[in-house]
Amino acid sequence: MTENTENTKQPLPQKQQHRPGELPGWKASPVSQNKKPILQIKGLTKQFGNFNAVDKVDLTVYEGEIFALLGSSGCGKSTLLRMLAGFEQPTYGKIILDGEDIVDDPPYRRNINMMFQSYALFPYMTVKQNIAFGLKQEHMPKAQIEERVQKMLKLVHMENYVDRKPHQLSGGQRQRVALARSLAKEPRLLLLDEPMGALDKKLREQMRLELVDIINSVGVTCLMVTHDQEEAMTMADRIAIMDRGEFVQVGGPREIYENPNCRFSAEFIGSVNLFDCTLVSSNTTQSIIKASDFHHPIELSHDLDLADGMPLSIAIRPEKIYISKERPAEETNWCEGDVENIAYLGDISIYYVKLTDGRIVSSTLPNVDRFKTGLPTWEDHVYLSWDPESCIALTI
Amino acid sequence: MVNLTKEQKSGIAKFVILTAALIFLYLPIATLIVYSFNESKMVTVWTEFSFKWYNALFHNTAIIKAVLLSLSIAVCSAAASVVIGTLAALVMVRIHYFKGESAFVLFMTAPMVLPEVITGLALLLLFVTLGDFIPWFADRGMFAIWVAHVTFCSAYATVVVRSRLVELDISVEEAAKDLGATPFKVFFAVVLPSIMPAEVSAFLLSFTMSMDDLVITSFVAGPESTTLPMIIFSSVRRGLSPEINALATIIILVAATCTFFAWLQVVQKQKRLAQDAAAAAQAAKEERQALLQR
Amino acid sequence: MPTGISGITPTLIRQKIKQRRRRKAEIRNMVHQENGIRQYAVIFLPYLWMLLFFLLPFLIIFKISFSVTEIAIPPYSPLVSFVDGAMQILLHLENYTNIFTDEDGTYLRSYLKSVQVASFSTLFCLIIGYPIAWALATCKNTTRNVMFMLIIMPSWTSFVVRIYAWMTIMKKDGLINDILMALGIIDEPLHMLQTDFAVYVGIVYCYLPYMVLPLFAALMKVDYTLIEAAYDLGCRPIKTFFNSLIPQTKSGIVAGSMLVFIPALGEYVIPELLGGKDSILIGRILWQEFFNNRDWPLASAVAITMLAILAIPIVWFFNAQRKSRERV
Repeated sequence: MTENTENTKQPLPQKQQHRPGELPGWKASPVSQNKKPILQIKGLTKQFGNFNAVDKVDLTVYEGEIFALLGSSGCGKSTLLRMLAGFEQPTYGKIILDGEDIVDDPPYRRNINMMFQSYALFPYMTVKQNIAFGLKQEHMPKAQIEERVQKMLKLVHMENYVDRKPHQLSGGQRQRVALARSLAKEPRLLLLDEPMGALDKKLREQMRLELVDIINSVGVTCLMVTHDQEEAMTMADRIAIMDRGEFVQVGGPREIYENPNCRFSAEFIGSVNLFDCTLVSSNTTQSIIKASDFHHPIELSHDLDLADGMPLSIAIRPEKIYISKERPAEETNWCEGDVENIAYLGDISIYYVKLTDGRIVSSTLPNVDRFKTGLPTWEDHVYLSWDPESCIALTI
Repeated sequence: MVNLTKEQKSGIAKFVILTAALIFLYLPIATLIVYSFNESKMVTVWTEFSFKWYNALFHNTAIIKAVLLSLSIAVCSAAASVVIGTLAALVMVRIHYFKGESAFVLFMTAPMVLPEVITGLALLLLFVTLGDFIPWFADRGMFAIWVAHVTFCSAYATVVVRSRLVELDISVEEAAKDLGATPFKVFFAVVLPSIMPAEVSAFLLSFTMSMDDLVITSFVAGPESTTLPMIIFSSVRRGLSPEINALATIIILVAATCTFFAWLQVVQKQKRLAQDAAAAAQAAKEERQALLQR
Repeated sequence: MPTGISGITPTLIRQKIKQRRRRKAEIRNMVHQENGIRQYAVIFLPYLWMLLFFLLPFLIIFKISFSVTEIAIPPYSPLVSFVDGAMQILLHLENYTNIFTDEDGTYLRSYLKSVQVASFSTLFCLIIGYPIAWALATCKNTTRNVMFMLIIMPSWTSFVVRIYAWMTIMKKDGLINDILMALGIIDEPLHMLQTDFAVYVGIVYCYLPYMVLPLFAALMKVDYTLIEAAYDLGCRPIKTFFNSLIPQTKSGIVAGSMLVFIPALGEYVIPELLGGKDSILIGRILWQEFFNNRDWPLASAVAITMLAILAIPIVWFFNAQRKSRERV
């Protein structure tokens, strides 16, 4: 739980204690203990009038990691990023970069550079002049500027477009120039504001990996803001889910997906089936839970630190629910219903099953076999089952 | 009757409207030009072609003096108006909230809409009052006219610069700041090149406004200072004269030349934009191939 | 709960005050966000200039309008004088009473006439300008560039020259009469100069670009799919125009109308050169009082009264401008 100690501000603190499903090797923590923190944010708050855009946020970012702030629009992630860059003045709080509080420094005196969502390239300058701009502000000798610019151009594969103006470049190329420009000054921290926001879908997927490659090859610490969970999952080592100015959960991509700590993160990342339940009994090896939506009880393979008869939610990801026309032999972890709808997405199919009491549960089925027959179809009566390990217990 | 499609109908309508507008706008000007080359002193009866009135014009020292005065006032007013207008536009677009913001906006736009007689009278009374303390205003010469012109021209300059500034992507300025440029540097390295076309338009507009102003200038100018519009006005009031036709023709010629170059600029800019777009499309194609290879 | 006129209740007022306070707190926050002093340096110069050369003069006009003429330099009586060591303030209201109770009603008539001329000119400009702006906004790109420049060009030439051009062609033996007589439409030359007709022509000619430009800007922003949708739903062209096009270009119509109406109301040069003896507009009155009669206080009172008339359209114009700015 090292990740969460820094997330001292817990929106619903009791959740911490009832953390279920802690399986060995699950927690994807790329940050080893001996890495030193590069950026520390303490109690950072931004108020607009009576509204707290960012509310007492604490965060530590370690050297060399890619950290993503994930949230829907208006959750305060951009305000947080702009405070780091120095475009917004925090109402209270500290921003400590390499042990120094930089809250009162103007943007042009911070060793932090940003790649903007719109890339914000200087329209009247060539690619080369754009990249050299930051270096010129430092009054770096000409020869050194030239050398650094060449290095950057090579890094982002833009050697052939040195003298073009931004308007004469494609979207992906503009992004790479913007990246080169923000890396040219070798900042301690690189900020990425919706890095793929301005690209079309096909390019986005390719650019994600390339961007990570470039960032890793330079070894710069990176903090990005995005609303696209896929982007955060593929690019970041750690993710913070933000809602209404607060961090809901901080952790590795896998941890956040497989082990959400509350309903908000469970529902925000991927899709999930949530059931309202009550705890029947719990001991060291198993817990029995009664769901209000179906007859058979849910069984977990670990204990819950909760009094019997207490309400809780059980979250199960659709891909972890098996769908079958045969009734399972076990007494626990299944329910039955009729196929209400099927969404065929090519790689997978999503089944929407209506339970006997009207509740809809989704389950995905990978389309492994091209011509497989005998799959459940519309109106079929089906049985949904899952492993005890697939259930995530969340306190309400 | 021929059956026309909707597009053809509206095309014909547009053609008729625009032609009529052009005739309305240019017929008076065209007659003016034609009669400037007339031998006769009568402005309305054509006798024969001659440059006589141009010759007379170039030997009219009063007019030459007025032209020089007007030109120097216009250049100075336009320069000052562009500076004040740019500052005011920056304040309006980039700083938004401060005490007295709406009063600021009112001051900066009101001179544009107020009747000139009111502005002129107001400025004159101010200069008379100030003349007791500051001798520069007392003789109501070039300085006073310059101040009056800057006051109303900067309102126009503000509007022109403002409309360009609001189009700018603020993150470009933030990017410059992020890369270590001080606010001062940001303005000169990033903002100014982007608003340069607007600065030029604002200068030209202020220049024209200053060159052309009659009413406000008549109020504030002392007996010693006579600008070009004042001389034209007084001679027109005395009656029609072919010399004025010649002068008008020259003014129109200058305006037409400027307009032509402005149009050329617009056309070239559009061409450049199209070329850039083509280059960008080509670059996108190359990029896709490069990505496949990597 | 006591309910005031038009539903203004104490609670509502309290809410408004609260809102305003909140907004002010927000503003303070935002100004703080960047280094304040440098900002104020930028605000300072234009603000100072306008306070000194725009606001101050109006206060002076206002002051002088309460004084009376004297043969002195400057030619008006001081408001504040010292009699036996005591300060005496003399406010003369004669100028205003003169304007409103003048025996032959010259002033009032000229105000009415000015409003009439300005209103009709605005209407004519709108009727002529709207089709031109529409044709400009919807024609091909290349044509638009050329036409736009051609329509702007005359306003880059001298104002007086444009009026002078109309004087030449509206004369008894001018071009218009020549053409009309040659075509046999009239037998003897029309008397056009020094009539109200000439004043209208002059104002429309000179102010048309001020109408066309805002209309053009508004028409360029129109969402033409809405108009197609209206057609698609079976709306007839005229109805579509009033239901769809006019509301969408309202900001342009207001801006254009005010840009014509306000300066036209105080117009001096056009009625002076093209108008007759009866085209006594208020601008001419002000000019005459000032230059011919050298009655500065009366001229000031005339100006203040004119400003009072213009207050409503000016406020309207600013609100329309602000709204269109906020939409951006």
